[in-house]
Amino acid sequence: MAGINSVRIFLAIACNELLLNSKRVAPYVMFLLCGGNALLWWGWGPATGRGWATNSDFFIAGVLPPFSFMTLPLFTAVIMADPVIRDFRAGINPLIFSKPISRAQYLLGKFCGNYFTLVCGQSAFVLTLFVLQWVSKQGMIIQEAKFFPYLKHFLFFVVLSHLVLGAFYFTVGTLTRNAKIVYGLGVAFYPVYISYQIVFLKSLPSPWPTILDPLLMNRRNLHSTSVEVINRLVVTYDANEIINRALMILLTTICLAILYVRFTTTERSGTVEKFSVLNLSTAAERVYYPESSHATFVDQCDYKAARIFAVPEVVRVNKGIRAGVDKLIAALGVEFSLLRAERSLVVVMPLAIFFSVLEVGFYNIPTAVSHSAAYATNTAKLLLLFLIGIVVFYTGEAMHRDREVKIEPVIWSTPVPNSVLLLSKFLVTIVLTFSLMVVVGLIAIVIQLVRGHTPVDVSAYLMIYGVVLVPGIVCLAAVIVAANVLLRNKYLVYVGAVGTGAGLFYLYSAGYNHWLYNPLLYNLWSYQDLTSARILAYRLYYLILTAACLAVAHLFFERRST
Amino acid sequence: MLVIRDLMKTYSSGVQALKGISLEIQPGMFGLLGPNGAGKTTLMKILATLLEPDSGTAELDGLDLIAAKAETRKKLGYLPQDFGLYPTLTAAQMLDYFAKLKGVTDKKERRSLVDALLERVNLSAERNRRLGGFSGGMRQRVGIAQALIGNPELLIVDEPTAGLDPEERARLHNLLAESTRENTVVLLSTHIVSDVSNLCSNFAVIRRGEIVTATSPETALAGLEGRIWEATLPREQVDGLKASGQIISTQMAGGRTRVRMLSKNGKPAEPFVAVTATLEDHYFIVVNQV
Repeated sequence: MAGINSVRIFLAIACNELLLNSKRVAPYVMFLLCGGNALLWWGWGPATGRGWATNSDFFIAGVLPPFSFMTLPLFTAVIMADPVIRDFRAGINPLIFSKPISRAQYLLGKFCGNYFTLVCGQSAFVLTLFVLQWVSKQGMIIQEAKFFPYLKHFLFFVVLSHLVLGAFYFTVGTLTRNAKIVYGLGVAFYPVYISYQIVFLKSLPSPWPTILDPLLMNRRNLHSTSVEVINRLVVTYDANEIINRALMILLTTICLAILYVRFTTTERSGTVEKFSVLNLSTAAERVYYPESSHATFVDQCDYKAARIFAVPEVVRVNKGIRAGVDKLIAALGVEFSLLRAERSLVVVMPLAIFFSVLEVGFYNIPTAVSHSAAYATNTAKLLLLFLIGIVVFYTGEAMHRDREVKIEPVIWSTPVPNSVLLLSKFLVTIVLTFSLMVVVGLIAIVIQLVRGHTPVDVSAYLMIYGVVLVPGIVCLAAVIVAANVLLRNKYLVYVGAVGTGAGLFYLYSAGYNHWLYNPLLYNLWSYQDLTSARILAYRLYYLILTAACLAVAHLFFERRST
Repeated sequence: MLVIRDLMKTYSSGVQALKGISLEIQPGMFGLLGPNGAGKTTLMKILATLLEPDSGTAELDGLDLIAAKAETRKKLGYLPQDFGLYPTLTAAQMLDYFAKLKGVTDKKERRSLVDALLERVNLSAERNRRLGGFSGGMRQRVGIAQALIGNPELLIVDEPTAGLDPEERARLHNLLAESTRENTVVLLSTHIVSDVSNLCSNFAVIRRGEIVTATSPETALAGLEGRIWEATLPREQVDGLKASGQIISTQMAGGRTRVRMLSKNGKPAEPFVAVTATLEDHYFIVVNQV
C-alpha cells in the first residue's frame, strides 16, 4: 500500500511537471525546430543525392546521432536546468516540502516529468520522418512504410544519449540553483565534446571510441557500400554499443544518486531585509523605535497631523518631440536591459552565431563574384531563420512582458505616449537582430581572413545584410507588433506566425513565389542585382508596409485595463 | 477638488461594478472603504485613466479625467492594488525610469529626486539591489515612491496595506501622511478600517457599487455616541439576538461570544454595557445595514 502511494506521489509530481512545461514556450519551439530539422534531412539531406531510401533502416539510424548532436544538448540544458529552481523562485517550495514527500519522489518526479517533456520535443524529428514516408519528392526512394525502426533507433540513439546529459544538467541546476551555469554548460558542450572526440577518442584503439562516446557518433561508416546493400540493411546494435548504452544508464544513476545525497530542501541564506524597526516615520530625525513599542506607537501616532515631507520639486517636460524622444530612449534602455536578462538569449545567440558561420567556417563555399559576397550570402541565408524566430518570439515577449509582471497599470498611468510604448518594443527587437547581424558579419570576416579568402570586401556584407536582411526583419517586426496589438495574446501570435511562415515557405517552394508576399526575398535575389531598381522597389514597398503596420498598431493600441 | 458624478460601469460579464457613484473630495486624504468586490478598484482604475466608464463624469479642478486622459496622467500618481516591478532592475533604476516617463528630463534633478525618494521610503541602502529580491513591503514602498514622483495633484492608492504586517502598515501610513502636499487629493482605497481612522479626514463607504455613506470619522463616531453596547454571552443566546437585527459584530473569546450591538432605544437587557463607538462599528452598520 505504501509502495503504491509512493508511486502515486511520484506520478503526481511528474504529471505536474508536464503541465507546467505545457505552458512554456521552449518545448514548442523545440518541437518545431526538430520537425523542421527532420524536413531538411528528408528533402535536402544525403539520402536523395546518394539514392538511399529515406525510410530505410540505415538512413534512420544514420541521421539520429548527428541530429542528437546538433541542437539537442542546448535544449536538454534549457529543459533540465531549472525544474527545482522554479519551485524555489516561485516560493512554492515550503508548500511542497511541508507535505509527506520524500526527496527521492520529489527529485525523480521532477527529473522524469521534465525528461519526458524533452523526449516529446525530440520525438518531433522521428514523427516527422515517419509521416514523410507517405510524401514523395522527385528522385527520392521510399520503401514500404514502417514504424518500429523509428521507435527503436530513436530510443537507442537519442533518448539514451541524452539521458546522462539530462541527469547531469538536472543535477548541476538543482545543486547550484543557478540555471545560467547549466546554460553555460549547454553552450560549452560543443567545444568540450569536439575536443573530447579529437584529442581523446581518436587516439584510443577500437572498440573504446564506441564504448566511450556518449552520442555514439563513431559508428562504422558504410557510406561507400552500394546503394542496394544499404537499402536492404537491417541495423543491429553490436556489443560495444550496448555496453555504451548500459554505461550511460549507469552514469545517469550515479548522477541522480549524487543529487539525492547532496540535495537539501532547506532555504539558503540570502540577503534579508536589514531593518526591522519602525524607522520610516522618523527617518528624518533618526529616532528608532524598538519592535516591542509598535502597538503603543500606532495607537499614539497622529498621522493626520504628520509633518509634510517635501518631494523635491522638479521640472517636468511632457510636450514636444524632444520629450517624446527622451522617453523613447529611456524606454528603449529599459527594454534592452530586460531583454539582456532573458535567460534564453544565452542559448539562442551562440546557437545562431554558430550555425550561421558553420558552412563558411568548415566548408568551401562556391564563389561566383567574390569571396566576401559568397560569405555574406551564405551567412545571410543561414541567419535568416534565427532572425525570424528572434523577431517573432522576442517581440511577443517584449509586447506582453509589462502585463505579465503586472507593471502595466503603473506605466500606463504615466504621461508617456502610446507611440513610445510601442516603438520601444519594436526597436529593441531591431537592435537585438542588428547586433546579431553585426556579430555574425564580423565573425565571417575573421573566418575569411583566417582561411585566406582575401581580399575582404566589407561593402558586400553591408549590401547583402542591408538590402536583404534589414528591411525584411524591420517589416516582420512591425507585422508582429501589429499582430500582438490586435490579438492581445502572444501565443495566438506565435501560432499564427509559425503557421503563416510554414504556409508561405510551402508556397515559395511550390513555385508560387512573388515579391508581394515575400518580405525576406527568399529565393528572389542574387548578389548581382541587389542594386537594381527592381530590388530597391521591393524594399521600398516593404518599408511602406512597415510604416502601415506600425500605424495600425498605434491606432488600435489601447491602455485597456483587465 | 475631485468631483465624481453618476459614474457607472458594467463589465462585459454582466457584473455591474458601479451604479452611479457621486462624490465630492476635497484636497487631503480621503478614504474609500468597502468589502472585497464592492467596486473600489473599478472606481480607482477609472480615475487612473485605465478603464472607461459607461457614463458619468470625474473632474479634478475642472479637468475632465475621463476625456482628457493625457492631461490627467501628467497630474496623476497611481499605486495599483496588485502591481509588479521589473525584477532585474534595481530600485534606483526603476525609479529613474518612472521619473523619465513622467517627464523629468534633467539628469541632476532626476538623480536628486530618486535619492530623496529612496531616502524617504528608507531604501537608500538597497538602491542598487535588484527588485526581484525585495519583500512585499519593500516593493510596496517602491510603489509609493514612484507614485510620488513629480508631486501629483491626484494620488490614487489602491489597497496599499493589503497583505502587509503591522510594522510595514505603520511605515506606509507614515509615508502617505507625511508625503502628500496640501493641495493634493489623495484617494486611499482599503478594506481595513484602521487605515482610514488613522489617516483620513474624510471617507466614504462603498457597497455593491454604491456609496452608502460619505462623512468624516469624527461625524461618523458622533452619530453613534451612546448607542453601542457590548456583552459577552453564551453562544445560544447570541443566535436569539441575531434575529433582532441589531447585532453589529460578534467575536469568539474563551468559548463565549463577545457581542457588539446597536440600540437606538436606550440600554438593552442585561448584561450589555455601554462602550465607546469605533469606526469599525460604523462600517459594519452601513455595510450590513444594521
